[in-house]
Amino acid sequence: MAALPRRIIKETQRLMQEPVPGISAVPDDSNARYFHVIVTGPEDSPFEGGLFKLELFLPEDYPMSAPKVRFITKIYHPNIDRLGRICLDILKDKWSPALQIRTVLLSIQALLSAPNPDDPLANDVAELWKVNESEAIRNAKEWTRRYAMDN
Amino acid sequence: MEEMAASQENDSEMDCSDNEDCYDYNDYYNDEDSDVEHIDLLKIDPEYFEYKCLSEEEIERLLNETVEDLSNRLRISLSLAKVLLHSHYWNSNEVIVKYEENPQQTLISSRIDPPVPPRNIIFTPTHMTCPVCVTLHHVDRFFYLSCAHMFCKDCWTMHFEVQVNQGISTAISCMARDCVVLAPEDFVLKHLQHKTSIREKYQHFTFQDYVKSHPELRFCPGPNCSVIVHSNEIKAKRVVCDQCKTIFCFRCGCDYHAPTDCQVIKKWLTKCADDSETANYISAHTKDCPKCHICIEKNGGCNHMQCYNCKHDFCWMCLGDWKSHGSEYYECSRYRENPNIAHESVHAQAREALKKYLHYYERWENHSKSLKLEEQTLGKLRARINEKVMSGLGTWIDWQYLFTAANLLAKCRYTLQYTYPFAYYMDAGPRKELFEYQQAQLEAEIENLSWKIERAETTDRGDLENQMDIAEKRRTTLLKDFLDV
Repeated sequence: MAALPRRIIKETQRLMQEPVPGISAVPDDSNARYFHVIVTGPEDSPFEGGLFKLELFLPEDYPMSAPKVRFITKIYHPNIDRLGRICLDILKDKWSPALQIRTVLLSIQALLSAPNPDDPLANDVAELWKVNESEAIRNAKEWTRRYAMDN
Repeated sequence: MEEMAASQENDSEMDCSDNEDCYDYNDYYNDEDSDVEHIDLLKIDPEYFEYKCLSEEEIERLLNETVEDLSNRLRISLSLAKVLLHSHYWNSNEVIVKYEENPQQTLISSRIDPPVPPRNIIFTPTHMTCPVCVTLHHVDRFFYLSCAHMFCKDCWTMHFEVQVNQGISTAISCMARDCVVLAPEDFVLKHLQHKTSIREKYQHFTFQDYVKSHPELRFCPGPNCSVIVHSNEIKAKRVVCDQCKTIFCFRCGCDYHAPTDCQVIKKWLTKCADDSETANYISAHTKDCPKCHICIEKNGGCNHMQCYNCKHDFCWMCLGDWKSHGSEYYECSRYRENPNIAHESVHAQAREALKKYLHYYERWENHSKSLKLEEQTLGKLRARINEKVMSGLGTWIDWQYLFTAANLLAKCRYTLQYTYPFAYYMDAGPRKELFEYQQAQLEAEIENLSWKIERAETTDRGDLENQMDIAEKRRTTLLKDFLDV
């Protein structure tokens, strides 16, 4: 594999030295482009108290192409599907090379605080979120308790 | 256009450029001096349509002339003129009107300038860090668009390379977050100077974008045809490609469809496609009774059919008399290989291969459908039982055996369904014969079970439970003998 670009080295150093509150991103021992990520569920959201594992991969042409990010912990969220794939504009057409791992993870954390059922990836979840928000939030809390706590 | 022309001193020249007729259209113009002739032609032939089949080079020249003309007129660079034309569907007139009215707004709406003007750039340091590669470079190495977002040369090059490889060309924007400013052609090409293949790709994609955004141009839809048709009349008229002879509608690019217009034909074709689904449904879900030939739709999972009309009992799968299926040698599931196939022609072999595949596929598909139908049967059964219980005919627990039976049936049929791909890939021989014998046995018992469940109320419970036992035994025997795990 080609040498690690300075950009990735710099970003990794900064992530280690000044970590974002509520987010940890640690590069894999064997692959510096692969990050083990843990995002804590934001306060006053149904995900509060949960620890969500994600994986983040920087493709060969990063930062010209967006990082690939996926939830590993099961989560009940209208913009995150069964496979943990995330519907977030900056990971797709709104990606800009000026964005960073840090900004991406912050956006994901913000997505947990503000689900957007009008732009759904998990249709059944989004549907419930729209017709019966309190039940959807109850489900999200239940899933958080079941899958994102104590393990 | 009239108003504009009046304010211009060189209106004749302008008209000419507006219609892009300066190029190669002198004959056409000369003809049009005598309007009578044109009208006559239309009278004789209502499909009469003036168009030209041009090559990519000719179209490129045509577009470049439009660009050059606009650039001269508005005193802007060729590259900017191109962006303006592309964002206005190549309507020079509209661009000129808008630009003379409010140049700044026109540049903003065409994404040439940012909505908010950038602050003045002050080059105090001699070196600065590129925000993308986080590397310190001399300021000479930095480039920026009208938005003044500065990035180093190498990052721009890489950005363009990645975008072009994704098929993006005229829509490539600045690298800064949320910045909408488009990178004009000269800026992109400058950064792709040493990347010949990417450069060529970029030029190919931009050309495609330009032609597609130009209402007077249409790519010939013929396979591998590079002809582009040009006409001043944007009408649903017939075009015959000079090169590949493909006939199509100039306006929508689909098969020529006079006298219907583009929208109506589209609706009609969609409807036809839907109706053909009905035909498909009939052929897929109905068969004629082998005795009285009435059309029968299968609405239950059981393959033992009894004709509603003539009461003939037959097998849905092979349309044979059901009596022969009751015997030990259940023939329906067996595929008979043609032993002489090796000596026959390639065609015959292909036909035989297809026939063989279809034999298995049909049965596979049929059981999958039966499974779905039996699910519905179960729903109806549940409703009927509920009714009985509510009206005091037994208790819930008395009827549970029926659900057990239905679940068992589903399990057996599922296995049976999956025996067909297995059989398809098996080599002919005694083992396959044994397999197909067992498969046939299972098939027969499952149909018996299904038949009995569908008529649950009139079937003796002991009889049904006996049948369940037999079916399950057949299933487990087959799995024991052939399941290789």
